[in-house]
Amino acid sequence: MSGLTLTLKSAPDRRLDLSGLTPKTLATLSPADIARLPLQCVAGAPTVGDLFALTGSTGERLVIAGGSDRFDFVGATLSEGTIVVEGAVGAFSAASMTGGRLEIAGDTGPGLGSGMRGGIVHVEGSTAESTGGVRAGERYGMRGGIIVVEGDIGPRAGDRMRRGTIIARKSFGDHAGARMMGGTLWAGERFGDEPGIQMRRGTLISPRIGRMLPTFGDGGVHDLVILRILSRDVAARLGPLAPHALPTKVRKFSGDLAIFGKGELLLTG
Amino acid sequence: MGGQNIEINGVTIDDTFAEAFGMTGTGVVITADSAKWAMQAAVTMTGFGTSVIGCGAECGIDRVLSPDETPDGRPGVRCLVFSFSPDMVAGQLKNRVGQCVLTSPGSACYNGLEAPQTIKLSTGIRYFGDGWQTAKKLGPRRFWRVPVMDGEFIVEDSVGITTEAVGGGNLLMLGTDRVGLLETCEAAVAAMAEVPDVITPFPGGIVRSGSKVGSKYKGVVASTNDAFCPTLRGAVQSELSADTLAVLEIVIDGLTAAAVADAMKAGIRAVTETGPAKGVTRISAGNYGGNLGQHHYHLKDLLP
Repeated sequence: MSGLTLTLKSAPDRRLDLSGLTPKTLATLSPADIARLPLQCVAGAPTVGDLFALTGSTGERLVIAGGSDRFDFVGATLSEGTIVVEGAVGAFSAASMTGGRLEIAGDTGPGLGSGMRGGIVHVEGSTAESTGGVRAGERYGMRGGIIVVEGDIGPRAGDRMRRGTIIARKSFGDHAGARMMGGTLWAGERFGDEPGIQMRRGTLISPRIGRMLPTFGDGGVHDLVILRILSRDVAARLGPLAPHALPTKVRKFSGDLAIFGKGELLLTG
Repeated sequence: MGGQNIEINGVTIDDTFAEAFGMTGTGVVITADSAKWAMQAAVTMTGFGTSVIGCGAECGIDRVLSPDETPDGRPGVRCLVFSFSPDMVAGQLKNRVGQCVLTSPGSACYNGLEAPQTIKLSTGIRYFGDGWQTAKKLGPRRFWRVPVMDGEFIVEDSVGITTEAVGGGNLLMLGTDRVGLLETCEAAVAAMAEVPDVITPFPGGIVRSGSKVGSKYKGVVASTNDAFCPTLRGAVQSELSADTLAVLEIVIDGLTAAAVADAMKAGIRAVTETGPAKGVTRISAGNYGGNLGQHHYHLKDLLP
């Protein structure tokens, strides 16, 4: 697979906007043109050439060798191809992403996948708050696609999320699924306190949780066919990244009944 | 009959053709907790689906699916539904899935045809949930979850549809022994069932009441095919030789013209392999002179 590698020369001294760096947007540009691309929307902004050494040629794959928590909006406009970040990223990575694949070797800042509509994001580290959540001025959070986080996911993940799936190999922080309107949060180990607060629709799946909201009603144990579909769907789309298939029987809590929500919290443990 | 008939293994193949029509077709996958109940729901849903004229749709079971082939990993059955238009297919799906699959224990119903054009499968059916129904969208597919007394009925939002389908492919089997003829036709239907994307919508795949267009009675659109009725030999212009005791027909609907041709080939092969041992003497086909149907399947082009 052809591809371009941007090797970080030195740590950035300010926050940078990398939303313009995708395989598709760079495909028609020469190395010189790519080097001149600004990484901020202000006069005198640093350029790609200031920060990175370019090797290889444009193609389906873009590698950013060296990460920084000041790299904001990485893959935010990704629609096809693959971006690999060999390190950490800042805020709002994959925000508004519609397709393709984003691989992040380190941790991410807040708002990963906010407004994301499609594609796959794989984070080998952990994520900060509001993963898949709503961004200021937006109506909804994540609206499609899959995020897989090998570590932990920060608090308030899936805030006003509408569609899509977020999988934490370990745990979600407090208030996961707050104001959720659809989609699925799937924890390998646990949710923090008060998951699903004010959720209207959507599915929260975990073996354990912290403090349960009193406004979730215990519906007992169920054999839900939709979980078989979900397990097979993520297995087909994620391949080896997919979590183990869900058990056939889960304990279901309905909520948030404070707002007559039709959401569900499913305990697999 | 036109030109020279052909004989294969003691069975005469008429130099004629089957005349078939363009139709709209779709497929649904029905699953359940066991293969038995998936089949039960499929049989019920495809019942009373022999002729689009009287039933609104022609329906049948295409094949049994292994758990690996279904969206929920349970045993499944793929059913095909054919009618005149996408709107008619949609109406039939709403009634058939709503009355026969939703009601069947443990069942779920999914899209069974990947196609650019789609129609709604869940419309109407999901409202049985009385406001408690919820949707789960996974990738491009949306699944509705309708609460029912044994858990949830899952129904996919949309199904693919094709207007390139073909209905009315057919073979007429003529014989000197009714029981032997029926057994031979059963073997032909079994051979056709191995061909993907086709159904034989009549009871057991076999029709004993072949029809012609029109009738002496006003308002009756079809009536008995007197030229192929043995008991009318001598009274009408019969197509039957003196020793023909019975005629059975196999009607084939398919999602593509090629699938119908493949099924007819499989049927002819099965009958000619049996030969006259069970009393089958001749294979023919039904047509309307070639002026009504867009698809003409000449038997001489379908020989084994």
